[in-house]
Amino acid sequence: MNLWAYTIRRLLLLIPTLLGLTLIVFILSHVSGNNVILAEYLSPKLTGAARAIATQALIARFHLNQPIYVQYFYWLNAILHGNWGYTNTAIYSGPVTTAIALFLPNTLMLSVVAAILIWIIGVRFGVYSAVNRDSVSDHALRVGSFTLYAMPIYLIGVALIIVLGVYLKVLPISGVVSPTMVSGLSWYVNGISYPTHIIIIDAMLHGAWGVALNAAIHLLLPAITLALAIVAGLIRILRSSMLEVLDQDYIRLARSKGLSERIVYNLHARKNALLPVITLFGLTVAGLLGGAVVVETIFNYPGIGYWTTQALLDSDVGGIMAATLLFGLILVVANLLVDLIYAFVDPRIRY
Amino acid sequence: MEYTLNVSNLKEQFYTRRGIYKALNGVDILLRKGEILGIAGESGCGKTTLGLTIIGLLPRNAVVTDGEILLDGKDLIATLREFASKEANNPNLRHSENIMKKLNKQLINVRGSRISMVFQDPMTSLNPVLRIGYQIAETLMVHQPEVLAKRRLARSKVKDDDLREALKLLENGADEQSIKAFAETRQLEGIEEQLLNIWRRNDLGIARKEKMILSLRSERLGGFDMAVLQRVVSQGRIDGWMRIPGLNRMSKAVLIKEGNTKAVELLSSLEIPNPEEVVKMYPHELSGGMRQRIIIAIALANNPELVIMDEPTSALDVTVQAQILDLLKHLKQRFNTSFILISHDLSVLAEVCDRIGIMYAGRIVEVATVDAIFNKPLHPYTTMLISAVPTIKGGEIQGIGGAVPDMRFPPSGCMFHPRCPYVMDKCRENNPQMKYVEDEHLVACYLYEGQKGEQN
Ligand SMILES: Nc1ncnc2c1ncn2[C@@H]1O[C@H](COP(=O)(O)OP(=O)(O)OP(=O)(O)O)[C@@H](O)[C@H]1O
Ligand SMILES: [Mg+2]
Repeated sequence: MNLWAYTIRRLLLLIPTLLGLTLIVFILSHVSGNNVILAEYLSPKLTGAARAIATQALIARFHLNQPIYVQYFYWLNAILHGNWGYTNTAIYSGPVTTAIALFLPNTLMLSVVAAILIWIIGVRFGVYSAVNRDSVSDHALRVGSFTLYAMPIYLIGVALIIVLGVYLKVLPISGVVSPTMVSGLSWYVNGISYPTHIIIIDAMLHGAWGVALNAAIHLLLPAITLALAIVAGLIRILRSSMLEVLDQDYIRLARSKGLSERIVYNLHARKNALLPVITLFGLTVAGLLGGAVVVETIFNYPGIGYWTTQALLDSDVGGIMAATLLFGLILVVANLLVDLIYAFVDPRIRY
Repeated sequence: MEYTLNVSNLKEQFYTRRGIYKALNGVDILLRKGEILGIAGESGCGKTTLGLTIIGLLPRNAVVTDGEILLDGKDLIATLREFASKEANNPNLRHSENIMKKLNKQLINVRGSRISMVFQDPMTSLNPVLRIGYQIAETLMVHQPEVLAKRRLARSKVKDDDLREALKLLENGADEQSIKAFAETRQLEGIEEQLLNIWRRNDLGIARKEKMILSLRSERLGGFDMAVLQRVVSQGRIDGWMRIPGLNRMSKAVLIKEGNTKAVELLSSLEIPNPEEVVKMYPHELSGGMRQRIIIAIALANNPELVIMDEPTSALDVTVQAQILDLLKHLKQRFNTSFILISHDLSVLAEVCDRIGIMYAGRIVEVATVDAIFNKPLHPYTTMLISAVPTIKGGEIQGIGGAVPDMRFPPSGCMFHPRCPYVMDKCRENNPQMKYVEDEHLVACYLYEGQKGEQN
């Protein structure tokens, strides 16, 4: 089928994109020269001759005496072999790959829950708003989504913390689980749960339903914050795309067939109205990642964004490079997925 | 005389920011059973608006201020008139939209089953993301699920012997009635139309048709599907537990599948090549002419009493146009359906219509048989329209002088008077009524005042 050929072509096109990405990440982190790298790996306690020896060793190890483009290829080679360097921050020190394995699952969990919320709320309200255009509820939805759209994510987060966490005290505002719930558990050590590192799933695997529930409640506020920040855009786009579709000739034909309003809206119109929304999925992933950095920091949620913030604050070049590369990778893959999904759901598109 | 449709004194306005457009100004139509009535007139005279009003598909800025549309004696637009009487002066768009939704609900059992419409542009009228087969099957499922259910049940019950016997009957030239009787005696209602539809196909050889008939016996039905079909047959519709979310989708799946099978038969009867392949396609894979045939198939799927065709061939090139017109003539013989065929092209209408109505500025000003319209046109506007039709003989084509009036401020009296070469004083003051000038010839013009005099 054409779709397979297209998929393979898109995968091949991924190679230059990824090379470009690594190049940019490498150049950005090396503009400030070698000192940053040396500072990262040289213990301040070393002095005199010992320091000079250690410096020489590092220069040899990272090929710092070679021209920068040669250094790039050494680095690229290491990346391809799974050696992403070291990170040294207040919350974690060690190989970057281990850091990613520890923190990324939490971010995935947060993003998936937020994405589900976004999809359910966005589609429902977007369609509702268009179908009942100019009604009071439509106006309310539009004002609401516009307000959310205009608000920076930390403002939404702080507002939710104040209202739900501090004032009403219905939801916990920090961390992934109440410390008292997990003290002394064999599968939860030093703030890290095993084996998946996602505490809700680990708790369920170990049959600790109370802990799972507690962790789920902790997840609510960050997930809602993230969802609210992004869903406004979806509602607005879906509303206008739905209104455009409802004016199309094929909707008139659908009505002339005697279909119920429900089928006209939920099948004939919505299926078409969602097509432009899919192309925005890539942007949504970018929004989720960017949002995760802020949300995780506000809520002390130990995900990749939280770690990235720490790396930035601690000038941890290894961490910053790895995080930038990782975010870039995720975006590239998301955009590939968008194109494939689009080709799959819109029968008119064949490459 | 029996009338399928009776439109009387239909008046309609569009409210816009720039003013109120008086689109329809008292339309009268009497449509007989099984006839094709053509409607012709210049662009903007309200032809499309008339068609959409009959099927009740109006934009929200439209208000029907007066008139009736009777389908077999039942008024379709009482809701719209009621709204107009409440909010005629300053209709609220939001309220109007709610009225349209209410009308959509009321007409659900009329649209697609008793009145269908074929729209002008086949390129944009089919849903781009749904398969052709589904788009046809859907209208069958909504309006006659029990027919689909019977067809499927019959195929699961039929025995090889029955099929062999039926084939023998068909080969001996049995007519529709006797095949039907055969199906009834064997308790196989629903098999007859499948037998006949295969037998009547022109695109297949006899051997292939025999093979298809003998393989009508299908694999047994699953328990759930069987329960669905039996309930649909006994209830005549999809209801009860079949409406539970989840079950609903599963119940519809078996009906849609059967709808696809029937769609193949329908398409082959409209002489669409490779119907089995076409039902699996998406609209963009088909040419404009093919898509228009699909739309005609959708319109005819439930054997409606009335099909409104709004410029069905205007967007197509000439050869395809000729094919579609041939198809229409053919349909006219086969179905007992009445058609309203809208076109700005009189030569198209001349080819297929029984009678032609001439429309000007939101009114029908003359109705007569095709012959009379062309050979004895009475209304000055009709005369002008006809002299504007190019003929093979050549001859000078005369344009129509003047322009269509601005319908925000329609002229007083007869709306044609500013362009009329025979204008009289009273034309400026009064609007002439439609009057019979001859048995089959109605005209609204003071030139023929008192010739026969009897009112419409
Ligand atoms: N939604 C609307 N809002 C405002 N005015 C409208 C609307 N729809 C139609 N009209 C106006 O009503 C008049 C009749 O339009 P209609 O489309 O019925 O004409 P038509 O005879 O079908 O013309 P054509 O041959 O170009 O298709 C036109 O003047 C048009 O501008
Ligand atoms: Mg038109």
